[in-house]
Amino acid sequence: MEDISGALALIGYGLAAIGPGIGIGIVAGNAVQAMARQPEAAGMVRTTMFLGIAFTEALALIGFVLFFIA
Amino acid sequence: MIWAASAECDPAHDIICTPEFVNELFETHTIFSIGGFDVNRAMVLMFLAAFIAIGLLWFAFRKPRVVPTKFGAAMEAVVGFVRDEIAIGIIGPTGIKYFPYLLSIFLFILIGNLFEVTPFINFPITSRMAIPLFLSLVTYLIFVVVGFAKNGLHYFTAIVWPKSVPVALRPLVGVIEFVSTFLIRPLTLAVRLFANLVAGHVMLTLLLASGVVFIAHVGEIGARATIGLGWFALGMAIFLFEIVVALLQAYIFTLLSAVYIQTSVHPEH
Repeated sequence: MEDISGALALIGYGLAAIGPGIGIGIVAGNAVQAMARQPEAAGMVRTTMFLGIAFTEALALIGFVLFFIA
Repeated sequence: MIWAASAECDPAHDIICTPEFVNELFETHTIFSIGGFDVNRAMVLMFLAAFIAIGLLWFAFRKPRVVPTKFGAAMEAVVGFVRDEIAIGIIGPTGIKYFPYLLSIFLFILIGNLFEVTPFINFPITSRMAIPLFLSLVTYLIFVVVGFAKNGLHYFTAIVWPKSVPVALRPLVGVIEFVSTFLIRPLTLAVRLFANLVAGHVMLTLLLASGVVFIAHVGEIGARATIGLGWFALGMAIFLFEIVVALLQAYIFTLLSAVYIQTSVHPEH
């Protein structure tokens, strides 16, 4: 088992990145749509978009850290 | 040998030594000791970052000018951004009380992050877990203390027994809210900053170092060494990207600190 543990951690990180990848895509896509529909609200939308991205991204980053711990 | 395992690797001879354990990436060697305290590179850079932050503000606002200098105007833009967009924009009019703290962490994290792309330093201090963890624990302390000070015990009961949820679901939502507020929040706040900077640092190191390795061994591998130029070019592109990441992560850490404080000041929304 010892010699494949590194590869397993890599696969685990890859799996952990799928969900946040889709999530960030949805957040950014909808933010672009909102900014295009209502350009005067762009500042507020951008702040909220960064918040949403930060929360979504956390899951991928936890996976990244676990890759080092494993 | 291009890639040498650390056991038989001689740093003076081989260009790159792979660490024996991945944890060796996170060890910083002691530079000197003061009275039993070992001082390493991260600590020196931490003090440097703090002094740069203090120095920037000191030189920009030492004496008030009617017409600010170019440097003063630039610093005013940074300070005004943190005050208007983050402190007052997120927390509301009472947010001005938390503005000094938010400005301090913003400047400290920004300078610490930018050490990653500073030539000859190339080491983000926020990529050592102790620093983001400590900063996030300070934010944690502030938002918990403010929550109890502003709302009394109601702050806690509103989290574990939310009134806006049907009674049958309240225990479940309460447990989730409790864990996410008091355990997950400080952890993710620290891990987000830490992992972003570690990822960038590792990526830069790998790309630029593999470029150097390929080009340095041009005598042995001949024309194939041109692959190294590609790696180096990609590394330089990531280098620019990392400047954006450094700015963005400092902004996001400060923004989330403000959002967490805001949920304690006005817990109902």
